[in-house]
Amino acid sequence: MSPRLRRAVFLLACVCLLPAFAHVASTMPAFGAHPLPYGDLINAVGVRERHVTNMVSAINFDYRGFDTLGEEFMMLCAVTGTTILLRGTRGETQDRPQRVPGREIRPRADATVLICRLLAGFTVLFGLYVLLHAMTTPGGGFQGGVIIASGLLLAFLGEGYRGWRHVAHSELFDAAEGGGAALYALCGFASMLMGLPFLQNMLPLGKSGDLFSGGLMLVENAGVGLAVAGGFGILLLEFLEETREPEPVQEDE
Amino acid sequence: MSALLALALQPVLPVAIPLTVGGLMLSVSKRLPRKVPDVVAILVALLCCGLCALLATRSAAAPIVSWFGGWTPRQGQPIGIAFVVTPAGGWFACFVCLLFAATLVFSWGFFEKTAAHFHVLMILFMAGMVGFCLTHDLFNLFVWFELMSVAAFALTGYALRDSALSGALNFTVVNTIGSYLILGGIGLVYSEVGALDFAGLAYGIAGVPHSPVVVASFVLLSSGLLIKGAQVPYQFWLADAHSVAPSPVSVIFSGAMVAIGLYGVAELYWTVFQAAPVVQHLMRSMLLGMGEASAIVGGVMALLQRHFKRLLAFSTVSHCGILLIGIALASRQGLAGTLLYMLGHGLVKGALFMVAGIMLAVLGGIDEIGLRGAGRRIWPAGIAMGFGGLLLAGLPVGVMDTGLERIGTAIHDAHARVALPAVMIGLVCTGAAVLRVTGRVFLGLGPVAGEEERSPTEQEREDANRPLWLMLVPTAALILLSLPIAHDADRLGWVAASQLMQPRTASILGLGLGSGPGSGLDAVPASALVAVPAWSPAPVSWLPWLATALALGLAALGLSWHRLPGTTIRLYERSVGPVVAGLSATQSGLVADYVTWITVGLALFGILSAFG
Repeated sequence: MSPRLRRAVFLLACVCLLPAFAHVASTMPAFGAHPLPYGDLINAVGVRERHVTNMVSAINFDYRGFDTLGEEFMMLCAVTGTTILLRGTRGETQDRPQRVPGREIRPRADATVLICRLLAGFTVLFGLYVLLHAMTTPGGGFQGGVIIASGLLLAFLGEGYRGWRHVAHSELFDAAEGGGAALYALCGFASMLMGLPFLQNMLPLGKSGDLFSGGLMLVENAGVGLAVAGGFGILLLEFLEETREPEPVQEDE
Repeated sequence: MSALLALALQPVLPVAIPLTVGGLMLSVSKRLPRKVPDVVAILVALLCCGLCALLATRSAAAPIVSWFGGWTPRQGQPIGIAFVVTPAGGWFACFVCLLFAATLVFSWGFFEKTAAHFHVLMILFMAGMVGFCLTHDLFNLFVWFELMSVAAFALTGYALRDSALSGALNFTVVNTIGSYLILGGIGLVYSEVGALDFAGLAYGIAGVPHSPVVVASFVLLSSGLLIKGAQVPYQFWLADAHSVAPSPVSVIFSGAMVAIGLYGVAELYWTVFQAAPVVQHLMRSMLLGMGEASAIVGGVMALLQRHFKRLLAFSTVSHCGILLIGIALASRQGLAGTLLYMLGHGLVKGALFMVAGIMLAVLGGIDEIGLRGAGRRIWPAGIAMGFGGLLLAGLPVGVMDTGLERIGTAIHDAHARVALPAVMIGLVCTGAAVLRVTGRVFLGLGPVAGEEERSPTEQEREDANRPLWLMLVPTAALILLSLPIAHDADRLGWVAASQLMQPRTASILGLGLGSGPGSGLDAVPASALVAVPAWSPAPVSWLPWLATALALGLAALGLSWHRLPGTTIRLYERSVGPVVAGLSATQSGLVADYVTWITVGLALFGILSAFG
């Protein structure tokens, strides 16, 4: 289709869709309108049954914990796919720092190095805080894992590529990612070994509002945190390896 | 022993085992010896295949229900996620695992250099598909749908040629739009009835069957699934992606991934949406029309190809159109036929893509004309291809034919006038296309003179790092598996369809059958209890033979094109030529065009809903 024809067809289709869209939108329940049976039920029974104060985590890791298992592996799949495509393009298999001959290494400003060294520790610490407080306040393994991985990236910003490669090992990241994801699934098998349905809690639930409340959810959350931190670590590693590509040679006419 | 059996009957196992193994394998991927990922992946696929077969057999009497975390419904309100195994879902999952096992044997050693990453993606892909078949929760369905999509995107681009990357990009963009549509559909129906479990949804929808929000939700959900199922006008991405993916991956794509989208449509219609009158109307109008159009368009486009994988990709569009016709008729006959045809077609199409893989590995090419006569030294592959072509054309043997006869009976009963010719065109064209390639590549027929002899496609080749017999064995196994005794297959299809259509809302929600709000929902229609009807051939039993004969004739015509008198060729070029050129032009490779066609499809859905 020519761009003009494509635009015409698209607009015509949109015009045809408009009445249907308006009709559906006008008959939808209003925003926030009750009844919302599921949310009401979970809010009513969640604290009593699960001893956690963050109901989102209770749903994510327990009531609908099986969804989270799938989502975690979805992330693992996306990271693994990216790795295959990027490594295939670079055509390299060895796992050691790459050199680009002839590229000048610009020294970092002292202020950058100092700030990065200070912030890196705090960022990782904050990530751990968010990860650990999954059961009491908003946050959890997904969010905490991303923050931890971004703390690692500060090593690149402050110390340069060599410093980054000093802390970033793909085997370690692989182990964290795959192992963390598998840990979540193994929680389910642990329930089954005790004769319970898959992923049913068998650990003490603890006291509501306590950091270590929630029983099995804590282990699952740690698994997610490991997997996400490892997965993002691999992504950052692969992306930064892309910068090792030799610059295109300028040809003089 | 009985404890072991009870453990093996946990529906979660065929999903959780591959997930766990995938995670563990990734965590030690750098340290694994070379052949270990291959062996582990094949064993996991076979184990899951066995577990699914066991589940499917045991579910024939009543569905197997399992609530994760032990969260059974409270006063009819589901709070957790359930897997519900019916024979249809169980056998489809079993078939998926079998196809994966065969593919992994076929690709033994092929993906060595990726350090287990390829195998991790493949077994996660399998876990996603099995989860999709067994789940009984709309959002969980979406999770597994996404898992398999994400795995598929990366696997498509594996070859990293320009065509592979652009095919993968088209695939990713179009299918991600499909995912958004599904997510929108989930949001709409949840806002209206406040549940995600299929039974909870069916219960809610039975209370508001005329709600436009429910209809819109069905439109979005089925559109997303039909994008995956490659139905006109959503089909364009398929040929771009399936023709460039590595052959072992294409086996899965064409054999199972496309059909699984259609299985999703059938399951959602029967277990969730069937109480809504407008949805019933959309099935008989829009979905039937899409199926008929796909059967024809896919068939004609297949005939026009010389790149064998692209040809097979279009034939997949055509046969999935036939599948959608069977589903859209919304009858037990049609559904039973479709379920069988899905399995038969998946096996045959998988075998044909393996033949394409053998051509790429041994002959170093995939172009029909460029490889004329080159296939003689791998003649067993030629036999597989020729037989596969005959089966696609409707040769009355095996599972495909049993399914086709049921679909034919359903078309006959429903007086669907366009459907029968559409099915015939699809069968004849796709069969003829494959038979023509067989004749040219393996028998050296049909010389083409002049410039056309040169291949217009880029140089393609797949590593030939494994012996020919290792590739031939899984190919032959798939073809042979599609040929069991028709009567048994028919019975299985009938039971599977009946179970899928059986209302089970009250029993799953624990509402009881006596009185109360849920009573009457499970009132089984009398027809459901009728035993399997005596196996009878289709109303017109010579139609499959006619289709086979026509396909052979059309293939012969294609191979003897150079002998035709000039006037005939000119007549063809004047009459059919412009139509064919216009049809080919729609397959532009531009993702903007494909998105426009998706919008057109949605607009058609909208217009037809207004008349429901």
